[in-house]
Amino acid sequence: MMVMRSLVSVVDDDESVRESLPDLLRAFGYAAQAFSSAEEFLASDCVCRTGCLILDVAMPSMSGPDLQRELTLRRKEIPIVFITAHQDESVRPRLLGQGAVECLFKPFSATALREALNAAFRVT
Amino acid sequence: MENELSRVVDALPGLVWTARPDGHIDFLNQRWCDYTGLGVDEAYGRGWQTAIHPEDLPELLERWQSILASGEPSETEARLRRFDGEYRWFLFRTCPLADASGAVVKWCGMNTDIEDRRRSEETQRAHWWLSSSAREHHFRSIGDDIPGLAALMTPAGQVEIANRQVLEYFGATLNELKGWAIADTVHLDDLPDVLAAWRGAVETGHPYDVEARLRRADGVYRWFHTHGFPLRDTVGRIVLWYLLQTDVDDRKRADALLAGEKQLLELVAEGHSMSEILEAICRLIENTATGCYCSVALYDPSRTRWEHGAAPSLPASYMRFCVGRPLNTDAGPCAMAACLNEQVIVTDLLTETRWAEWRPIALKHGLRSTWSTPISTAAGKVLGSFALYYSEPRTPTSLHQSLIKQFTHIARIAIERRLSDDTLSELRSELAHVARVKSLGVLTASIAHEVNQPLSGIITNASTCLEMLAADPPDVDGARETARRTIRDGNRAADVITRLRALFSKKETTLESMDLNEAAREVIALLRSELQRSRILLRTELADDLPRVTGDRVQLQQVIMNLLRNATDAMNDVDDRPRELVIRTERDEDDRVRLTVQDAGVGFDRQAAGRLFEAFYTTKNGGMGIGLSVSRSIIESHQGRLWAAPNDGPGARFSFSIPRASGGATDSGPGAPEGVTDTHGLGVIRMPVAAARRVMRNT
Repeated sequence: MMVMRSLVSVVDDDESVRESLPDLLRAFGYAAQAFSSAEEFLASDCVCRTGCLILDVAMPSMSGPDLQRELTLRRKEIPIVFITAHQDESVRPRLLGQGAVECLFKPFSATALREALNAAFRVT
Repeated sequence: MENELSRVVDALPGLVWTARPDGHIDFLNQRWCDYTGLGVDEAYGRGWQTAIHPEDLPELLERWQSILASGEPSETEARLRRFDGEYRWFLFRTCPLADASGAVVKWCGMNTDIEDRRRSEETQRAHWWLSSSAREHHFRSIGDDIPGLAALMTPAGQVEIANRQVLEYFGATLNELKGWAIADTVHLDDLPDVLAAWRGAVETGHPYDVEARLRRADGVYRWFHTHGFPLRDTVGRIVLWYLLQTDVDDRKRADALLAGEKQLLELVAEGHSMSEILEAICRLIENTATGCYCSVALYDPSRTRWEHGAAPSLPASYMRFCVGRPLNTDAGPCAMAACLNEQVIVTDLLTETRWAEWRPIALKHGLRSTWSTPISTAAGKVLGSFALYYSEPRTPTSLHQSLIKQFTHIARIAIERRLSDDTLSELRSELAHVARVKSLGVLTASIAHEVNQPLSGIITNASTCLEMLAADPPDVDGARETARRTIRDGNRAADVITRLRALFSKKETTLESMDLNEAAREVIALLRSELQRSRILLRTELADDLPRVTGDRVQLQQVIMNLLRNATDAMNDVDDRPRELVIRTERDEDDRVRLTVQDAGVGFDRQAAGRLFEAFYTTKNGGMGIGLSVSRSIIESHQGRLWAAPNDGPGARFSFSIPRASGGATDSGPGAPEGVTDTHGLGVIRMPVAAARRVMRNT
């Protein structure tokens, strides 16, 4: 059933996320790829193959929302699940309003992640 | 013989005359005619009267009539006009000539020139006429008309004669008064002045003036101005002192009140505490309205109980009873005055029926009457009550009422100012609180971020671990690896907590050799997203060969952050030019290191330059105005200075300059090892340190 495993790309400048999240995603049954910056992701060959993007909001150079805008400009409409360590409640509705599937505050549970991914792949 | 006698009469050393029993002049000797220049025909009958001084004539005629009526020898004095028009004093002596039956048949008189004697007597005249009881009466009858107290004192200080006003004022008879000393009439506080003036006058013989309170019969002291001047005898010896005492109480009180009011307003202006001012008001009124006690009671902020304001002279036990009394009309007159916002006059506590609880306590403390006046703002908000007490039944006079009006006004100013001071300090602490909460918000967010990152890893790894173990077959190796990563992330989180604890227990300034460039870079890293959001173009010009400085890294970072934030805020409204922000470090003269933050913002005018560093001075709408003053104090504690200067173009630059570290310069340029940061022990949460510091500073 999962012959073509959906690719989930993780873009986060935090190393512990890049280290841990892909393993969990794989355990969920997804293919996973981690990138340390938005630029790195854009430069990769994963953009077109990514079925869901798990994207950190605040990054030193190009931010999560910046990447989202860039993808829209490039007409690559990938479902996005934002993750952030800044627990600013006003961020979530704004991001959802701009088309994100979900916005998870770190630390988030495996269940919350799974639900977000389910929602993301339902959209597609 | 007739002729012979006539010659003798003319030769007598005096002006000789005779008169019929009815007083009609029937003879005048030649000397009389020669002296007056009047002919005998002119002078006979009543004609002689034209030669008498007009001022002396009525009395002389009156006297002449009484002499004629008495039939007794007598004498009097009057001025008689000489032929050349000059009046000279004459002694008029007259003796009756009686027939065998004793009836007066003729009056013989002789006038003697006493002008010279009189002149010499002028100086001792006072004594002369006072020495007789008739003259004393004379003094009294004149003295009684004087609008003031008039008395004669012996040089020994004993009262000799006093007018009616003196006797009435002191409530004593002249004999009683003669037994009194100066000290018996003068207020104790004024006695030294009075005695000094009196002794000085007695010693020098010069007139003197002195002002003192004199005790009236009812015990009330009033201010009098005393003018004293000496009366001398023929040889110039002072025989008596004439004292004229004028009541200057009203003027004196007005002066004292004015001075008191001025002094009180000075206290207000100089920022003395409210209780000092209220106490001064009470004392001033107690000094002005003798015999009264004053108190000021205040509403406490909760407005249900009394609060002590001032009561310098009331018994402490009475005040203890009053403070904390409830605020209702039944509690006491002060409470009633405050509740109703109107004056409450109690003229006699004994006939009073209100305030059953308060009344016996007041009576027990010897209070008999009290007048309470509300102290209220122009808008009618009651701040407290002002009360005057007397130990006897009393009704306020107009003086009392004007005193009360004048000083409740000053009390109001003092209380209102205290309230506004309170409000201000409340506002300040509120501001500090806002700053603290704001900083705490930043701080918590930073901490949360730092802790959430490892927590996120822990949960993700643990979840992965579970997933791997649940797989069929279980991925045990993978689970072991993720479990190991979980432990590592857990340790990372614990490290954060440890550092945080170290951070918050660290209160003293820690001086260390440090690299200002590195410190600046860390601040920049923290602010990067903020700068991005504000569309700031940051240019860093950090000198490569910058000597190290000695300082508290956290505090200096706080200053840099403050300067960067200010610069960012200053460019918020800049849209017509790049929002360029330059942070520059460089060597400064005298072995110092300088850091400058330059913006292209709104800038400031030179007049404001001095005020920029004052606490609470801000040009920003949302600003607190604390940052720069705190920054300056930090830099000054580093033996440095912080200053501001407008740019040539738009914007301003803020710089600080601090001494380089002594002993060797270890440059740590852009390529410095990361380890430098970590040896400091603050690692990833360096900036929250600065935020925490700011919190501590502002509290």
